[in-house]
Amino acid sequence: MSNKEKESIQLLQGTLDLIVLRTLATMGPQHAYQVATRLQQISDRLLNLNQGTLYPALVRLEQYGWIKGTWGRTESNREAKYYEITKAGQKALGEETQTWRRMSALVERLLLEES
Amino acid sequence: MKHLRRIFLKFYLLFANSKVEAELAREIGAHLALLEDEYLRQGMTPEDARRAARLAYGGVEQATQLHRDERAFQGLGQILQDTRVTFRQLRKSPGFTVTAILMLALGIGATTAIFSIVEGVLLRPLPFPDPDRLVILGDVLEGSHCASCAPSSVTAPDIRNYMRATQSFSHLGGYRGRLFELSGTGEPAAVNATRMSGEVFAALGVPPLLGRTFTQQEDEEQQQVAVLSYGMWRSRFHGDANVLGSKIILYRKPYTVIGVMPREFEFPLNPGHVNQSELWLPLSLQPEEFTAGSAAAWNSRMVGRLKPGITVEQAQSDAERVARETMRDYPAYMRSLRIHAVVTPLQEDTVAQARPLVRTLLFAVIVVLLIACANLAGLLLVRAIRRRREIAVRLALGARAATVLRQAIVESMVLSIAGGAIGLALAAVALRVGVSRLPQTLPRINEIGLDWPVMLFALGLALLTGFLCGLAPAFAAIRTSVNETLKEGGRAATSGSGHVRLRSALVVAEIAVALTLLTASGLLLRSFEKMRDVKLGFRPDNTLAALYVLPQHRYGTQSAIDEFTKTLLNDLGQLPGLDAVGITSFLPADGNNWGIAFTIEGYVPPKGAGLNMAAMSLVESDTFEALGIRVLRGRVFAESDNAGSQLVAIVNRKIAERYWPGQDPIGKRLRRGLQETSTPWMTVVGEVDDVKLGSPDAETMAQVYQPVTQTVASEGVFASVGELSATDGWIVLRSRMPPEQMEDTLRATVRKIDPQLPLYQMQTMEQAISKSEAPRRFNTVLISSFAIAAVLLSVLGIYGVIAFSVALREQEMAVRMALGCQRSGVILVILSSGARLAAVGCGLGLLGAVAASRLLRSFLFEVSPFDPGVLAFSAITMLLLAELRRRMIEKSLNPFRISLGNRRVYTTFAIELKTLR
Repeated sequence: MSNKEKESIQLLQGTLDLIVLRTLATMGPQHAYQVATRLQQISDRLLNLNQGTLYPALVRLEQYGWIKGTWGRTESNREAKYYEITKAGQKALGEETQTWRRMSALVERLLLEES
Repeated sequence: MKHLRRIFLKFYLLFANSKVEAELAREIGAHLALLEDEYLRQGMTPEDARRAARLAYGGVEQATQLHRDERAFQGLGQILQDTRVTFRQLRKSPGFTVTAILMLALGIGATTAIFSIVEGVLLRPLPFPDPDRLVILGDVLEGSHCASCAPSSVTAPDIRNYMRATQSFSHLGGYRGRLFELSGTGEPAAVNATRMSGEVFAALGVPPLLGRTFTQQEDEEQQQVAVLSYGMWRSRFHGDANVLGSKIILYRKPYTVIGVMPREFEFPLNPGHVNQSELWLPLSLQPEEFTAGSAAAWNSRMVGRLKPGITVEQAQSDAERVARETMRDYPAYMRSLRIHAVVTPLQEDTVAQARPLVRTLLFAVIVVLLIACANLAGLLLVRAIRRRREIAVRLALGARAATVLRQAIVESMVLSIAGGAIGLALAAVALRVGVSRLPQTLPRINEIGLDWPVMLFALGLALLTGFLCGLAPAFAAIRTSVNETLKEGGRAATSGSGHVRLRSALVVAEIAVALTLLTASGLLLRSFEKMRDVKLGFRPDNTLAALYVLPQHRYGTQSAIDEFTKTLLNDLGQLPGLDAVGITSFLPADGNNWGIAFTIEGYVPPKGAGLNMAAMSLVESDTFEALGIRVLRGRVFAESDNAGSQLVAIVNRKIAERYWPGQDPIGKRLRRGLQETSTPWMTVVGEVDDVKLGSPDAETMAQVYQPVTQTVASEGVFASVGELSATDGWIVLRSRMPPEQMEDTLRATVRKIDPQLPLYQMQTMEQAISKSEAPRRFNTVLISSFAIAAVLLSVLGIYGVIAFSVALREQEMAVRMALGCQRSGVILVILSSGARLAAVGCGLGLLGAVAASRLLRSFLFEVSPFDPGVLAFSAITMLLLAELRRRMIEKSLNPFRISLGNRRVYTTFAIELKTLR
């Protein structure tokens, strides 16, 4: 494992789901490579996601019924599986975002108090 | 909701594995391709790009594994995978699979069948609501050693007193079983009926299927109503829904049917399935049942339901109080009798006698199961040892020990579940065939069957067996030392001391256990033999017997009864081919032998000796000759011994030796009842041989015979007003031809005198004896079958282990023979190594046999636990087994097989020798 990865933030399973969902919601249908690239871009390379760990998250979301995968073709005419957020997924995104905001606010408040 | 969907998908995807894997591979491939493009664009060479893509991706195998873990229940998936692999492997070795499954089927099937008996008889709660509150209330009459009486019974006055004066019961009533003549529709038949207080239905609390049950008031008003059992309703009335209100004729009196009980209802819970009550009638105690002799007749029982919150002990002290009052009110002729009240839970009362038998059967069958399991464990162990190279390779390649362990257990479980399923089927067949053959001493036979608890038991047993049997070889497998196994290339002779010890332990255990069971069965067989050797005291050949009961309705006076008896004996005496005809109240081997108390002239009983009890048989005509009872002294009864003449009696040898040892009993006097009862003396005019009234292995009772015509006269104060004698009896015929041929003639003769009078329980005396031996025969046959099965299984197991150990040591034997050892010497080597095992096994087996015989003591009859015959039998069996073993070893040591191994040895040797030089 390189130094860079040691610096990167370890993500909890649930938050990864949330991030992926958000990405798909804002960017529209993406395939796994696109999602991974986008995540790396946004997090300024702090988020070093093993590309492979994205797949369990995608499977999970698909099994929840929040995203749907269909095979398609990229611009360079390679085949790839595009994932799209579903209506249930939109709803879940709203709920999960709220939960996350509430929770992080609470944690933030507790940390402020201690310091 | 999301979780539900996910769980379903996770489970489903277990089975769509290949499709999903292909999809995943496709997706990963696409992802890698895209990554590659990116790197190509950045200017890398194609190979570098490909490598970088893979690196960036981070490990395809790991990703695939993560995906797998996420998408389906992996634990379950692995087990499914293991199961598929196991099926494949088992199919490849059919011999092993079939043997293992059959062994398990035998063990689990037999255990399940016996457990269904245990469950139906002992464990299942009684078929009444809240059955723990039901109790039997009765007296224990001090000093009455009546072996075959019901353990706690009551007299008619007791019923009245207890019902009136106790406070601890919400419902309490008395009951008495009786044979009734049912006529009117079709052939007159005998039905088992129970006369019950109305309160008993209330106590039991089971609502009727149709109509209603009778109340205590109807009982006291002596209403002639009847409640049918489900069985009788279906068989005699064909399930007619309009049966209520119709009349049935019992002993020529009409009774109105007012209700039908449901199918599961059974009361009283008598042992066997021929004694079940088909009809319930009000107890309707008559005034004469409270006086004279009936007041001292303990011929009924009581059942009650405890009030909420009352314990058995409290009820017992309550009843004891009433008992003491009852004793205070005893008439003069019963003054010296003492009773204690006893309250027993109904469940206990029902099953207590059956418990030893059922327990013994359970132990015996568990022994068989254990041997089957040991065999399976041994077989699996051998298999594991054979595959140790494969396992070593797998372990070296990185398989986890847990995986190997899990596979071994899955294999074992697959075998045991298959064996369990077949065993369950076998048990079902056995039960269907065997329930009718169960001995008549088991209560609740109708409840024995394959119901849910039994099937769950079978399943649980199969799983447990599989798990336990799989553990031994599983641990052996993972303890495989990878290095050594791979190095040696499979030439190791014994592959680790752990395996050897395990195998030895299994063999020793099997030998010991089989020997124990063999000895137990030997002891039982001996007891059975001894029982058949017992002198019965009468000659059962060529004798036919049948019971008749004269209904009071038609035979209401003594003269009518006497007229019938005279005509009957006359007509029978004129039949050709008959040597003797008699009528008696007690038929030998029938088991019906309740006793009466009597007093001997001049005999002072030692302190605390209790009452003198004897079975009193009332006889008519040439009963002694008809039954073939030997007269030892004096004479038999004659026509001149009748109601008006001097009261006479005949005693059996037991009485003569007990009360007049060394003296001639002729001329001595005795009488019915106790010291204080005023009854006239009877003079002894003859002494006869002891007769077994019950089964041959029961104790001989004291027996007194008297002419039936003198019954009432001899009863003195016990006689009720208008009491009739000779109202029923067993007709006994001794014929010159086979007794079966006399059956129709007898029936015709009786029918000519009274066309409506049925004859009950017609049987030859040989049949009667066979019936009385049946319980012991059942035990012996069953346990011997188990013993044989155990021995066969042990032999099978030992053969497997020996064959394998010989095969393992092939190389060693080859070396020995190459070095000049003779074949016989080689055999000796193998034999001696196993001889010690066998000796230890035999030693343990003998110890086990001693222990078993102490447990069996109640079942043994005139056989000591150290019976030399049985020990010799067991020793001979072991010697035979040893001989068998030797032959098996010889056969296994096939010279050709060794020479094949030899070649390799020779070559290696040659090389080594060359290098030495």
